Amino acid sequence: MADAAFKQRAHDALADTNLKTAIDRTTGTAETKRAIAVEAFPEFQAARSRAAAIKDHVIANLDHYLIEFERNATASGAQVHWARDAAEAAAIVTKICTDADAKIVTRAKSMLGEEIGLPHALEEAGIERVETDLAEHIIQLAQERPSHIIWPAMHRTREDVATLFFKDHHPPPEADDPAAMVASARRVLRAKFMAADVGISGANFLVADTGATCTVTNEGNAELSTTPPRIHIVTAGIEKIVPSTDHAMALLRVLVRSATGGEITQYTTFHCGPKRPGDADGPEEMHIVLVDNGRTRMIGDEFRQMLRCIRCGACMNHCVVYRQIGGHAYGGTYPGPMGAVLTPVLDGLAQSRDLPHACTMNGRCEEVCPVRIPLKTLLKAWRVRTWDEGLVEKPLRYGLGLWGFAARRPWLYHLGARMALPVMRLFGRGWIRRLPLAGGWTDSRDLPAPAARSFMDQYRRQQKDARK
Amino acid sequence: MTTPPAVGLFVTCLVDAMRPQIGFATLKLLEQAGCRVDVPRAQTCCGQPAGNSGDRKAAAALAKQVIAAFEKFDYLVAPSGSCVGQIRSYPALMDNPGWRRRAEDLAAKSFEILSFLHDVMGWRPNGVRLDATATYHDSCSGLRELGVEAQPRALLESVEGLEMRPLNGANVCCGFGGTFCVKYPEISTAIVSEKSANIAATGADLLLAGDLGCLMNMAGRLHREGAATRCFHTAEVLAGMADGPAIGEDT
Amino acid sequence: MSARDDILAAIRTGLTHGRDGALPRQTPAQIAAEAAALLADPDEIRPALSGPDPVAAFIAKCANPALGVTLERLAGWEALPQAVAAYLTRHDLGPRIAVSGDARLDRLAQLPLETHRDTAPDEAAAISVALWGIAETGSVVIHSAPDQPILNAMLPRHWLVVLDETRILPFLDDYAAPAAPAPRNAVLITGSSGTTDIEGYFVRGAHGPGFVHVLLISR
Repeated sequence: MADAAFKQRAHDALADTNLKTAIDRTTGTAETKRAIAVEAFPEFQAARSRAAAIKDHVIANLDHYLIEFERNATASGAQVHWARDAAEAAAIVTKICTDADAKIVTRAKSMLGEEIGLPHALEEAGIERVETDLAEHIIQLAQERPSHIIWPAMHRTREDVATLFFKDHHPPPEADDPAAMVASARRVLRAKFMAADVGISGANFLVADTGATCTVTNEGNAELSTTPPRIHIVTAGIEKIVPSTDHAMALLRVLVRSATGGEITQYTTFHCGPKRPGDADGPEEMHIVLVDNGRTRMIGDEFRQMLRCIRCGACMNHCVVYRQIGGHAYGGTYPGPMGAVLTPVLDGLAQSRDLPHACTMNGRCEEVCPVRIPLKTLLKAWRVRTWDEGLVEKPLRYGLGLWGFAARRPWLYHLGARMALPVMRLFGRGWIRRLPLAGGWTDSRDLPAPAARSFMDQYRRQQKDARK
Repeated sequence: MTTPPAVGLFVTCLVDAMRPQIGFATLKLLEQAGCRVDVPRAQTCCGQPAGNSGDRKAAAALAKQVIAAFEKFDYLVAPSGSCVGQIRSYPALMDNPGWRRRAEDLAAKSFEILSFLHDVMGWRPNGVRLDATATYHDSCSGLRELGVEAQPRALLESVEGLEMRPLNGANVCCGFGGTFCVKYPEISTAIVSEKSANIAATGADLLLAGDLGCLMNMAGRLHREGAATRCFHTAEVLAGMADGPAIGEDT
Repeated sequence: MSARDDILAAIRTGLTHGRDGALPRQTPAQIAAEAAALLADPDEIRPALSGPDPVAAFIAKCANPALGVTLERLAGWEALPQAVAAYLTRHDLGPRIAVSGDARLDRLAQLPLETHRDTAPDEAAAISVALWGIAETGSVVIHSAPDQPILNAMLPRHWLVVLDETRILPFLDDYAAPAAPAPRNAVLITGSSGTTDIEGYFVRGAHGPGFVHVLLISR
């Protein structure tokens, strides 16, 4: 099964010590800050349960809420568009831009934008795309994809960022410390904000009863991307609906603590329609693109629970696998545990069959998930499908088949153990350093030699002796 | 006097083949705690390798075998959090309502050894002595599926002469993950190497844990790296059986 | 069928023929009741205030260094011009400030300052009046309006914001009702702009203001 491409990407990532340094610095800080925030919020467990219930309620009534949202957003003057898949969504956005003869488009980070391939689509359409989130700016310069949903450039060390900025920023940063580099990006991007024709943002929430979209940022780039241009476009997954602002606040409390360890983001912004008569600033048009792209397929099965996801990134920050290989090795838009559940939906299981298997099932991801998604159960569900669809590699399949055959026949199994154990011991009495067919273990670990006689064997003899 | 509870000992396939002493330690502890223990011969494996690989059919067949062999006891007890976690998940594998009920009944009375001793039997070690320093790793299934966290620590506290040292990242996975460690050996190695560095940093003589899979992974890595740390299952220490060879030492 | 029809149909199919079993479809009234029930017992899912009353809690939140905010209490609106002048002098910003257009800020004209409306992209200092404050988080809220340019709060290096303490709401959820008129843009601003995008280091003034100064008008 193990897809060579995944294994190769993981191999390359593991060989990159710079990457490991970068991952450890950011996820380590994130883990600590989240723990402090949770400690300071005794209501967190109850708030998680409520957040999960709110999302479940929304999904169970999604058609109702989408229609309500559409009605209210339209009443505010926004134009609502619907897209069945990524291509359709990207085409809608590109068409709005080209119809408006847009030359420069600013983007406030949105993972959905990545999911629908917006960066590429805008490029194809010959539109200058300016990523305004600092991390997105970094990876735009590096011509990479995000490696984390909250810190897209977390695979880059400060030294890497300095190299990129000194090459691209004119004038270059005054120094190579983070503060000077942030100041330089501020300078470079400020001019673009003011010159943009279209600003594109995502949405953390779509508020049904007001028709507003809500975006959270710490940098303030959402307001700067969406206020000066003539046109504001929002792209959002259909599962982002909440019934009201009140419900958004309940989710916000667990989202921010889980993502960055803050209580609230510096900027929590609600957009509702275009500029009103007399308003001091704001765009003349607002468009909202509601994107399905596989989400409706998840409603009908166990993956419905994945639609609770509010994209906080805590699962990846706490994942032992993510922390070794980083985000790019996963090969999809979304990495880590949530990505391993979502990518097979978005890219197909055959393409991403490794992802549900490249997990130790330690359960830390679901322990920290702010909306209590049973990630382990969902990953196991994908494993069942890989097995049923014949996507599990043959040696493992046959090996497990043989094992299962014996394990279902205890007499055979115990006989086999009596015969096999002494053979195993030919390879060593204490530690075995090499064992044929077990390179997966012995290449990097010694293997304790098995017992000369199994427990069941010894126990039976003891019982016999006792009866004598 | 109340009748002593009848316990079926589920040895686990790893303990059966790799380190029977853990099985005997568990047996001894259960008897000390006042249980009548039987070891059904019709047991092999809980079905985790199949279940975790997605082979639901094989996992269900093995689950039925375990249910049939153990449902007559008051309790099923095993020296492994992950096997008990698997047994507790049997109901989800059963499509037939009758089997599902039987699976639920067994799940409700299945326990990992240390939490069983501590929570159900109220047992505490008495006169157990081990002059050593040790550190403890929380195996993930026991910790997160069964809530095994305070019990082993509380029990180890009663062992005379044993000095426990905190392990940085004790609740972080060691990278074993069943078939994961051989399917993705490079990732697994990177994870266990961080774990072994944390273990070494404690300077403890012994590493203790409640799951043999994790123990073999950590012990195997520690030994390959040349560390002197010796590894035991917590039950071996509590049963006073940690004075002999540790995991991997020549028997 | 339009994309809209297809998506709504797919949702209904998923909800009524799903593997997890069909969900009973509810009437709008039932949905509304369920949504309201999800907001019951708000104290169970929100933190306690960090002070004995909303104003004290708001002040305590702003004292958190992580927010990057300074706060100054003023006895009344009359004290505002002196406080603004002192702030500009203290930070060596020169006698120049962008003013949002709120009539209550007209009194700044009495200062020997150059005041103007349109905030420049590299403006050193600007001042706005917040519509609301939120004690739970130490946030101030602005709503886009003819006298409330959003960019006034986003472009300057130093943003001064006047908040009348009678406008401080206890919790985030208390803002839901005032949010209902849904202006084009409602922004909850909590501290200065910042980023942790380079190795998790917190750096102030990423795109928005690096300095936020709250001028809290006492009752």
